[in-house]
Amino acid sequence: MVKALVACRAGVGSSLMLKIKLSEVIEQHNMDIQLEHASLDELEGFDGPIVITLSDVADDLKKEGVKKEIVGIKNILDKNELYTKVSQALDNVSKQ
Amino acid sequence: MVRDLIQLNVQASDWRDAIRKSANPLLVEGDITKNYVDQIIASVEKYGPYFVIAPHVALAHAPSKAGAERMALGLTTLGTPVDFHNEGNDPVKYVFTLSTTDPNSHLDAMKELVGFLSDDHFYEVMDRAVDPHEILDYIKNANALQQ
Repeated sequence: MVKALVACRAGVGSSLMLKIKLSEVIEQHNMDIQLEHASLDELEGFDGPIVITLSDVADDLKKEGVKKEIVGIKNILDKNELYTKVSQALDNVSKQ
Repeated sequence: MVRDLIQLNVQASDWRDAIRKSANPLLVEGDITKNYVDQIIASVEKYGPYFVIAPHVALAHAPSKAGAERMALGLTTLGTPVDFHNEGNDPVKYVFTLSTTDPNSHLDAMKELVGFLSDDHFYEVMDRAVDPHEILDYIKNANALQQ
């Protein structure tokens, strides 16, 4: 199981909805990934390789130089976007 | 979501105005403090429109400690959609204002909301409604069907 952190600024709204929708996609496609949910404050203590968040937060994290595979989601309701981007992240991580 | 927290076809001059007007019913009911509303706007100024989560949909919220007094979810539809400067999801027409005191307590409410936002018919209902009751009835009926 690969661990992924689902996070947003506050950790109570957007990321929770993102996690709910991601769980549906992961179950549907039987993906080898385990989700944790938190605010960005907890990013430092997270030991998994993937961070999934909204796209503008993802851009900030990349700029800050966070050393994780960072996935930025534009439309959290779009299952195709979720599946495509998370699969890509899993691929990238497995090559490391 | 309760009737008093739903407002339809509100006119807003820009995203700040849209957030203030959408949050107002929660402020009046005492679900949130004025500081909570200020913090929502301040976080957008600092971090960008991170809660524009899907096309035309914003989930306005701040951290609980900013002044969330109790769990509440409001809905405001904008008469004229407003740009939140979120590439891909602008303009925003549906503003949900969320107040929560404990991230775990509102999981069911969020699951329900995700379900409705994934339902095309729900948008038609929001667009067509002239009275908040129409939206509440739709939610009630959909929930009854699921059980």
